[in-house]
Amino acid sequence: MLLEINKLYKSFKQADHGKIDVLKNINLEIHEGETVAVVGQSGSGKSTLLSLMAGLDRQTTGSLRLRDKEISEMSEANLTQFRAKNIGIIFQQFYLMPHLTALENVSLPLEMFGYEDYIFRAKEALEHVSLSDREKHFPNQLSGGESQRVAIARAIVTRPSILLADEPTGNLDNETGIQVANLLFDLVKTTGMTMLLVTHNTEMAGRCSRQMTLQYGTFQ
Amino acid sequence: MKKPYSFFWSKLALKELLNNRRFSIFFLFNLALGLAGFIALDSFKESLDIHLGKNSQAILGADLALTSYVPIDDKTLGNLESIFPENTMSTQKISLFTMVASKKRSVLVQVTGIGEKYPFYGKMVLRESGKVIPEMVLQNLDFKKDAWIYPELLLMLNINEGENIDIGETSFRVIDSVIDDPSSSMSSFGFAPRIYLGLNKIEETGLLSKKSRVSYQYLYRFPKGTELKVLVENLRGKIQKFDDSFSKIRVRTHKRAANSLGRVLGYLNDYLGLIALIAVFLAGIGAAYLFRNYLVHRFQEMSILMSLGATRQQTYRMVLWQLVFLGTAAALISIIFSLGILPLLELLLENFLPRGFETNVNLSSLVFALILGSIGSLVFCLPVLTRIHSVQPLMLLRKNNGNHGSETLILRQTLSYFPLIILSWILSVWQSQSFIVGSAFVGMLFCSVLLLGSMSWIILMFAGKLSQTSGNTIKRLAFRNLQRNRAGAISCFVALSLGTLLINLIPQIYQGLQEEISRPADFRIPSLFLFDIQTEQIEPLKNLLADNKMNLNYISPMVRARLEKVNGRKYKSDFNEGLSTRERQREQGFRMRTLNLSYRTKLSDSENIVEGRKLAGNYDWNSDMPAEVSLEERFAERMGLKLGDFLEFNVHEVPISAKVINLRKVKWNSFQPNFFILFQPGVLDDAPATYLASMGGLDRLERMNYQNLIVQEYPNISVIDVTRTVERILKISDQMVLALRFMAYLSIMAGLVVVFSIARHEVQGRLWELNLLKVLGAKFNDIQKMIQIEFAILGICAGLFGVGVSLIMSYGIAWWFFENLWKWTWQTSLASVIGVTTLSVIVAWIATRKTLKSSPLNLLRSS
Repeated sequence: MLLEINKLYKSFKQADHGKIDVLKNINLEIHEGETVAVVGQSGSGKSTLLSLMAGLDRQTTGSLRLRDKEISEMSEANLTQFRAKNIGIIFQQFYLMPHLTALENVSLPLEMFGYEDYIFRAKEALEHVSLSDREKHFPNQLSGGESQRVAIARAIVTRPSILLADEPTGNLDNETGIQVANLLFDLVKTTGMTMLLVTHNTEMAGRCSRQMTLQYGTFQ
Repeated sequence: MKKPYSFFWSKLALKELLNNRRFSIFFLFNLALGLAGFIALDSFKESLDIHLGKNSQAILGADLALTSYVPIDDKTLGNLESIFPENTMSTQKISLFTMVASKKRSVLVQVTGIGEKYPFYGKMVLRESGKVIPEMVLQNLDFKKDAWIYPELLLMLNINEGENIDIGETSFRVIDSVIDDPSSSMSSFGFAPRIYLGLNKIEETGLLSKKSRVSYQYLYRFPKGTELKVLVENLRGKIQKFDDSFSKIRVRTHKRAANSLGRVLGYLNDYLGLIALIAVFLAGIGAAYLFRNYLVHRFQEMSILMSLGATRQQTYRMVLWQLVFLGTAAALISIIFSLGILPLLELLLENFLPRGFETNVNLSSLVFALILGSIGSLVFCLPVLTRIHSVQPLMLLRKNNGNHGSETLILRQTLSYFPLIILSWILSVWQSQSFIVGSAFVGMLFCSVLLLGSMSWIILMFAGKLSQTSGNTIKRLAFRNLQRNRAGAISCFVALSLGTLLINLIPQIYQGLQEEISRPADFRIPSLFLFDIQTEQIEPLKNLLADNKMNLNYISPMVRARLEKVNGRKYKSDFNEGLSTRERQREQGFRMRTLNLSYRTKLSDSENIVEGRKLAGNYDWNSDMPAEVSLEERFAERMGLKLGDFLEFNVHEVPISAKVINLRKVKWNSFQPNFFILFQPGVLDDAPATYLASMGGLDRLERMNYQNLIVQEYPNISVIDVTRTVERILKISDQMVLALRFMAYLSIMAGLVVVFSIARHEVQGRLWELNLLKVLGAKFNDIQKMIQIEFAILGICAGLFGVGVSLIMSYGIAWWFFENLWKWTWQTSLASVIGVTTLSVIVAWIATRKTLKSSPLNLLRSS
């Protein structure tokens, strides 16, 4: 078992001192190599679930274990290291560092952790997303699709256990979106990586091995 | 997992700075300008101190002098000299004021007898023989009845070199004239020209009788490394044990000689220090403001880094690297830049500076600027840096900037101001060289920040209310923007108003100083000063001059006296070398003097009462009331006297009691016969008095003719040509006004750069919103109007409050630093408010114009 979520709750305090439960009694198991899509309407709690899985936020109650380690029990420093090694994240808005070239953006997580072959591996990752000819370009010189491909390369370059993708085609036009989705699924297939995809796009969700629908904070 | 290679974070930090070139350049420019100002001013100030230190030895001509009005006998001298180290060199100097005469004229001079080794320091230069060496003193002055005289005496006595003059009972041959005399530095605006004789020959003049006031100086040069302070303390200890006239022996060190260079240099020194401090604060505010904006825009990138595995400490470290890069680079630029400014300062103050002045870049200023640049910028930006703690990678998913309002964050933010307060305090105390003054300056500055912050809060609340009531959409939007963006608006307001405060502070203080230094409006340059006019000579002298169509000005009686008691208690001179502030040493000098009293029916136009009432008319000797007396305010302060004090003077052995009725302020450069102590008429009228008076508006020939005429008719009257001295002082005061003005403009320029940076960045932060309004169809004019209204409100309020607080603060500074020389000039205040408002609106207009002209797509992409 790669990821195991048990009776997970997440609440937020409201301005009127009340609280709102965004996630209620979430239970989920993801096995290695699986691709799981989480679909649901806006406000259903998809992104919150993703942020908990990524260790960017802490659950209110419940358990979230990745590779048999309870994420909520890790210190901030350990969690950061654990995330860097095991989790790759792809954001809807790409979030590339504007002052770094495509190659530098991809090599950044490797450099941060002292990989000596960071250039070789970053180039390899860029090759996987067919952007070898764009390695010296800065984000503002890339199209939306190219930027998201760089972000995908950056997410997979550390060879994480699980890839978390938050609406990876949400900021792209239809055609480019399909191209990026194809690339993402091909990569996952060839590398055998596990992926959790949060999306509105039913077509994209349909390409995953499993679909989960989130409504009002619980899986239907 | 391994650690990244050594320079990974610094390389990343540098890349980010290079990518944000505009910010980096503005930050560098802003900080470098402030630091360059600091280095240049501090080095200049230091150079002045060093120069005075070197010159002080030349002024005294020795390391230490023992001064007495009676010759010190061998036993006493041996006792005192017994504590001097081996290889101490000694010589002697005797000075007195007397009339000397040629065949045609007589003139008041200072006659000085010098020993062969005089001077130990500095060089005395003769026109014919060049630099004076010990053999010359020995061969010319000691063995022969020869004299070296100041060149103006040749003219005043109508003689040529080689001719004889009579000094006392002896005739001396003038063999050379002194063209450079280190002891007549700019401190001594003495009117009497000098004549140098041999030490043993001055005795032959017969002038060293007990009736004459003669100053005996025993001069010493110590071996290197001698602890002067300890030696002085030991000497004083010995002197205090004497119970005869030798208990009045004064110990004078070369440092005291330098410190007595007067208020003029002291003011300039303090003023330069103040501007240097303000330059640093202005640069700090600008840097912190720019950095705040930069950092806020970097939060997203920090979140990305954290989401990729960077720890918060690593993110902090990267930002710290950036600050250290920028700060050090700014310091290095400022060092290069200041090397360029310094010669300019020297050039500007050329005529004002003492001869031989050299501007040296002060190494400690450079080191301090480097520390200020690197660590100082960290400290100034620390309150901003604490905001990184609220950055979380979660914001990439939720678009939320973290928990801004948490108690821990508020506490951390509050604590982050402490290093800034401590650094500011250290800087201020170091610059002012006074614990109290430095603390007061920083205290005032931080109180101003709190006050301005509270004011801005109230203004923004008011803007919020206006946004609900204003009918005009544009105005409503402008007010709402201000209220909604409260944190940004408050920091912009505080930064702008603080900038205005500091900008306005210098011209405000400058006005007070300029008022003090510049010439009075009714100024008439005096040409001749007449001393020792006897009462019965006044009318005939007036008539004599009237026959030659000339008036005698400012005729003033002068009565010598000694202050015996204050409020019934014996007055003590209270000499204490341990307290070595400039003011304290002046005070000590004042307290020892024999005082000159005068009386007038009304005040002259160069003086005005600052405390108390006018003196009454003629004194009634039959009344029980004490006589009324007026004191010059600074004199009173230094003597420790105040309004209402009862004073008892010894006027030629007659005790005269008086009550201090008022304190007067006197313009020191009015060149009118002014007195520290003025009695009401009728008290001193019968006391033995001499008169002094002046004559003005004479050319060189007329001055000579009148001098001859007066001296021939009344040989006892001393007539001194003061033209050269007066012109010299006027030139100095004019140059100083110029220097003060230049510094004021420099600080305004630096301040405006900061104001420009702040306004520009505030507008930059709004570009996306402006673009959105444009895309939504708002008219260009309306968008511009909205932004202009916002910035006009910010500018006017910041200007008004900044100026208001600066008036209070400048009053405080004038009181602490510049002996209360404060004058409000509404023109400066108005110009500051208009300047800051206009600059804010113009910057906003330029920035919005550029935005409105660019394509919405580009802006949306860049956002």
